[in-house]
Amino acid sequence: MLTNAIAISALLFMLAIALNFYRLIIGPSIPDRLAALDTMYVNAIGAIILFGMWLNTTLYFEAALLIAMLGFISTVAVCKYLLRGDIIE
Amino acid sequence: MTLLLIVLLPLVGSLVPIASARSGRTTCAWLTAILPAIALGIAAWYTPAVFGGQLPQVSLDWVPALGLDIAFRLDGLSLLFVYLVLGIGLLIILYARYYLSEKDSMSRFYAYLMLFMTAMLGIVTADNLLLMWFFWELTSLSSFLLIGYWSHLSEARKGARMALTVTGAGGLCLLAGILLMGHVVGSYSLTTVLEHRELIQQSSLYQPILLLFLLGAFTKSAQFPFQFWLPHAMAAPTPVSAYLHSATMVKAGVFLLARMYPVLSGTDEWFYIVTLTGLATLLYGAFFALIKQDLKGVLAFSTISHLGLITLLFGFNSKLAAVAGVFHIINHATFKASLFMAAGIVDHECGTRDIRKLNGLWRYMPYTTVLAAVASASMAGVPLLNGFLSKEMFLAQSLEAQMLGGLSWMIPALATLGSVLSVAYSLRFIHDVFFNGEPRDLPKTPHEPPRYMRLPIEILILLCIMVGILPGIMVEPILRAATAAVVPGQAPEIHLALWHGFNLPLMMSAIALSAGVLVYLLRNHIYRFHRQFRAVNARQSFEFSVQRVVRSAQWGLDRFENGSLQRYMFLLLLSAVIVAAFGLMDVPSMAGLKSLQPLDPVVVTGAGILCLAGLGTVMLHRRRLLSLLFLSVVGMFVSLTFARFSAPDLALTQLAVEVVTIILLMLALFFLPQKTPKESSGRRVSRDILLSMIFGGVIASLNYAVLTRPLQSISTYFIENSVPGGGGHNIVNVILVDFRGFDTLGEITVLGIAGIAIYKLLNRLRLFMPSSDMEGRPWSPDRYPVILSSVSQTLLPLALLVSVFIFLRGHNLPGGGFIAGLVAAVVIILVYMSRGVEWTQRRMSFNYQPIAVTGVAIAALTGLGSWVFNKPFLTSSFGHFDIPLIGDIELATAMMFDLGVYLTVVGSTLMILANLGKVTTPHRPSKEKQ
Amino acid sequence: MEALYATVTGILTACGIYLTLRGRTFPVVVGLTLLSYAVNLFLFSMGGITTGHTTIVDSGQPYADPLPQALVLTAIVIGFAMTAFVVILAMRTRGDLGSDSVDGQRTDEPREERK
Repeated sequence: MLTNAIAISALLFMLAIALNFYRLIIGPSIPDRLAALDTMYVNAIGAIILFGMWLNTTLYFEAALLIAMLGFISTVAVCKYLLRGDIIE
Repeated sequence: MTLLLIVLLPLVGSLVPIASARSGRTTCAWLTAILPAIALGIAAWYTPAVFGGQLPQVSLDWVPALGLDIAFRLDGLSLLFVYLVLGIGLLIILYARYYLSEKDSMSRFYAYLMLFMTAMLGIVTADNLLLMWFFWELTSLSSFLLIGYWSHLSEARKGARMALTVTGAGGLCLLAGILLMGHVVGSYSLTTVLEHRELIQQSSLYQPILLLFLLGAFTKSAQFPFQFWLPHAMAAPTPVSAYLHSATMVKAGVFLLARMYPVLSGTDEWFYIVTLTGLATLLYGAFFALIKQDLKGVLAFSTISHLGLITLLFGFNSKLAAVAGVFHIINHATFKASLFMAAGIVDHECGTRDIRKLNGLWRYMPYTTVLAAVASASMAGVPLLNGFLSKEMFLAQSLEAQMLGGLSWMIPALATLGSVLSVAYSLRFIHDVFFNGEPRDLPKTPHEPPRYMRLPIEILILLCIMVGILPGIMVEPILRAATAAVVPGQAPEIHLALWHGFNLPLMMSAIALSAGVLVYLLRNHIYRFHRQFRAVNARQSFEFSVQRVVRSAQWGLDRFENGSLQRYMFLLLLSAVIVAAFGLMDVPSMAGLKSLQPLDPVVVTGAGILCLAGLGTVMLHRRRLLSLLFLSVVGMFVSLTFARFSAPDLALTQLAVEVVTIILLMLALFFLPQKTPKESSGRRVSRDILLSMIFGGVIASLNYAVLTRPLQSISTYFIENSVPGGGGHNIVNVILVDFRGFDTLGEITVLGIAGIAIYKLLNRLRLFMPSSDMEGRPWSPDRYPVILSSVSQTLLPLALLVSVFIFLRGHNLPGGGFIAGLVAAVVIILVYMSRGVEWTQRRMSFNYQPIAVTGVAIAALTGLGSWVFNKPFLTSSFGHFDIPLIGDIELATAMMFDLGVYLTVVGSTLMILANLGKVTTPHRPSKEKQ
Repeated sequence: MEALYATVTGILTACGIYLTLRGRTFPVVVGLTLLSYAVNLFLFSMGGITTGHTTIVDSGQPYADPLPQALVLTAIVIGFAMTAFVVILAMRTRGDLGSDSVDGQRTDEPREERK
C-alpha cells in the first residue's frame, strides 16, 4: 500500500518538477523563471523525502534540510541581484 | 677519511673570506690561505704512500640507487693535480692580495676562488664518474662567477656568459657520455670503469661514448673549434686568468683525457680525432698568439696552442707520449702561471695591456723583466729550462707517429712549425714589451711591484729552472706515479735527462729556436699578410648566433603560442580526445558482461531535466543570468543524482557548493558584461560543436564501458578498518580525515592558498559597475529589504546549529567538516547579503585569512601530534568518554583534524565571497546619494 | 540505467567543452563548472552506480564503494576554489584590460561607470 502511494507521489513530484522546468524555459520574465526555480527546490525536497521513505532510511533527510535552507539562500541571492545588481553591498 | 678533507677544507674555506671580510685585506688573505695550506699538507702526507704504489680511497653512500657515491681516490695523477691546484692556488691568493684594488671586494673574490678550488679538487680526486661530473659543472659555474667578477664591465659579463655556455654545453655532452659508459659497464665507479677497457671498446656504444667524452674535454680545454671562449675569458682579473686559464680549469679537459686514457685510447678513432684536433689547435693558437696586440691575448692564444700540444701528445697512442703529455701539463702550469702574473704586474703598473704602447719596460722594472724572460724562455723551449724537456719529448714522439701512412712526415714537420711559432711569440712577449724602444703614452708611470706580488712568480721560476736542470730529482717520482695511473699495465721507462746526445729531436729544437727568431724579425710581413683578412670577432659572432637561436626558437614557439587561449584549448582538447579515442579502440567491445539495471520513470525524468538544463545553459549562454539559472538546476540535479545513487555525503557537499558557486558567479557577473556578444564565425561554432560532441561521445562510451564491467574495488580495507582503525562509522569521512588525511591536508592547503590568492587579486582592482540592470531599469533604492533582513537574522542561529550538527555527526553519519564549513559560510554570506558589509563587520570584526590559516595549522598540528607519541604523521586515535549530561561520547583525534578542515573551508569561502562583496562597498554611488 | 548515466555524463561533458571553447571569460567559467560536474559524475561512477547501498558501517544495508565518494567530495570543494580563482582572474582581466575576452585583447567596448 505504502509502496504504491510512494510510487504515485514520486511520479507526481517528478511531473511537477518537469512542469517547473518547462516554466523555467519559457519564462518569459526573469521573476517567472526564478519562481519556477524556487518551486523546483521545494519539489526536490519532497522527492528526496519520498526516496528516503522508499528505502526506509533517514540518511537522506539532511539533504532535504539543506535544500530547504540553501535553496532559499540561492533564491535570495538571485532576487538581490535582480533588485540591486550588487548582492553584497 | 682524511682524504675527504682535501676537498672539504677548501669548501669550508670558501666561507672564511666572507666571515673575515672586515678584518682587513691582509688578514683576510692569510686566513683564506690557511685551509688550502692544510689540505696541501694532507696531500703531502699521502705522497709517500702514493709513490709506493698504494691507492688511498674513501667512499660514502650518497644516492646508491643511482650509483652515485661520495667516493674519492688519490692516485698519482690525482696527486699531481692536487699539488698543482693547491700549490698554484696558494700563490694566487698571495698575488691577488696585491693585485686587487681597494674598490674590489676581496672577500667575494676569495670566496669564488675557494669554491673553484673545491670544484677542481673534486674533479681530480673523484672516484665516481657522476660525482666527477658534479664537480665539473661546479667549475663551470664558479669560473662564470670569477670571469664575471668585474660585473660592471659588459666585456666581463659577455665573456663569462660565453665561457659558461660553451663549457656548460660540453658538460652536458660529458654527462651523456658518462651515462652511456655507466650503462655499458654497469657502474659509475671510476675504479670499476678503469678495469673494463675491453668491454667499453668492444661495445657498440664506444663511438658515441668517445665522442661525448671528447666534446666535454675539448670544450673545457678550449680545443679547436671550441677555442673561441678562452680569449674572451681574459676579461677576468689576471689572478683568475693565471689560475683558471693556465694551471687549472683548462687543464680539466686534458685531465679528462688522461683520466680516460686507459679505457678510451688505443683505437683509430681516438688517434684521428684527438691528434688532428690537437694539431689544429696547436697551430691555430700559435699563429694568433703571434698576432694579438693584447698582452693577455697573446698568453691566451699561447695557452690554446699548448693545450693543443698536450692533446696531440695524448692522441699519439704511445705510452711515452702520454708521459710527455703529463709532463707538459706540469711545465705549462708553472711557466704560464708565472707569465700571466707577470702580465698582471705590467697591467697593474702601467695601466694598459696594449703591446703597441708597452715598450722598453726593463728600465722601469728590471727585476720583473728577468722573471718574465725566464718564463718566456721556458715557454719557447730554451735548454736548461723545463719547457725544453717536454718539448723535446714532444718532438721525439711526433717522429714516432706513423698512423698517417705516407703522410706521416707531416706530423713532425707541423710540430716543428708549432715550435717555431712558439719561439716567435715568446720572443715577442719579451722583446716587444720589455725592450724595443720607449713606452708610449702609458696611463701610469711604471715601477717595480710590491715585494710580495713578485714572490709567487719567483717561486714558479725557481721551479722552472730546477726542473729544467735536475729533472731526475725534481719531477721523476711524481711523474712516475702519475704515469702509472695514466698508462695501464707495464709502465714505460722514463728517463728524464738534459742531454740525450745529438739526435733528430735536438736538431728540430735547434731549427725551431733559430727559425723562431727569424719569424719574429719578419713579423711585420706576417702582420701585413694577416691584415688582408677581415677580422672575425668571436664574441660578436657568438652573440649573433645566440640571438639567432633565440629568434628561431621564438619563431617556432609562435607557431603554437599565438596568445589565444581559445586556440590552446582547442589543441589541448583535440589531442586529449585523440589519445582517449585510441585507448577506446583497443577495447574489443564497448559493453561489458555485467547485466544492466532497470530504468525507472523517475530517474528518466531526472536525467532528461539534467540534460536539458545542461543544454539550456549552453544555448542561453549569451544571456548570462539565464544561463546561471540553468546552471543551478544542473547543480541541483547532480546532487540529486548523488543522493539517488547512495552517496548522501556527496549530495550534501554538492548542494552547498552549488549555492556558493551561484553566489560567486553572480557577484562576478555584476562586474562583467551581462550579455555575451556574438562574435564566433559559423565555421568556428560548428567546429567547436563537432569537437565537443566527439569529446562527449568518447566520455560517454568510456563511462559506459566501465560501468558495464565487473567492479574490483580496493575499498574492502577501508570498510573493514573504518570502525576498528578510525573510530568512525561514516567510511567516506574516515577516509577523508584519517586513511587519506594527508591528501585532505594538501587539499585544504590548496583551498587556503586559493583564498589568499584571490584576496591579493582583488587588491586595487579597477571596476566597471553598471548603473542599471540589463533591461535598462535603474536599481531598486531599497538596499536592505526589511523582510529579508529579519528572516535571515532568524535563520542565522538555526543554520549555524545545523552546521555544528552536521560537523559533529560527520564521523558516523553523512556530514563532516567540508559540508558543515560550507553551510556556515553560506549562512554568513546570507547575512552579508541582507544586512550589508558594514552592519556585518561591526558585529564580526575579524578577518577571515587567520581563520583559514588556523584551520590548516590545526590540521597539520593534529598530524604532527602523532609524532609526540612516536607514531607516523597523521596517525589517529580515539576513545570513548563519559561526559555528564551528554552521556557517552566518542572523541577521535580525527575530529580535531576535521575541525581544521571546517575552519579552513569557512575561512577560505568567506575570504573569497566576502572580500569580493566588499570590493564595491567604498565606491557605491547610491551611498553618496543617501 | 548505465546507458542513461553514461549519456548524461557525455552530454554534460559536451556542454562544458563547448562553453570552455568560447571567447569570453564568463561562458568559459560556466563551462568549467559544467565540466567539473560531468567529471565528478564520471569519477563517482567508477565505484559503480548502486541504489540503496550505504557507506555507513553497520547500518544493515550493503556497502557502496566509499573511495570514489571521498575523492569526489574533495574534488567538488577544490573545484569551487578553482572556479573562484578563475572568476576573479576574469574580473581582474576586465578591470585591467577593459575587455572580457579570454585572449586578453584590448577592445574598445563602451566603458560603463568606471571607478
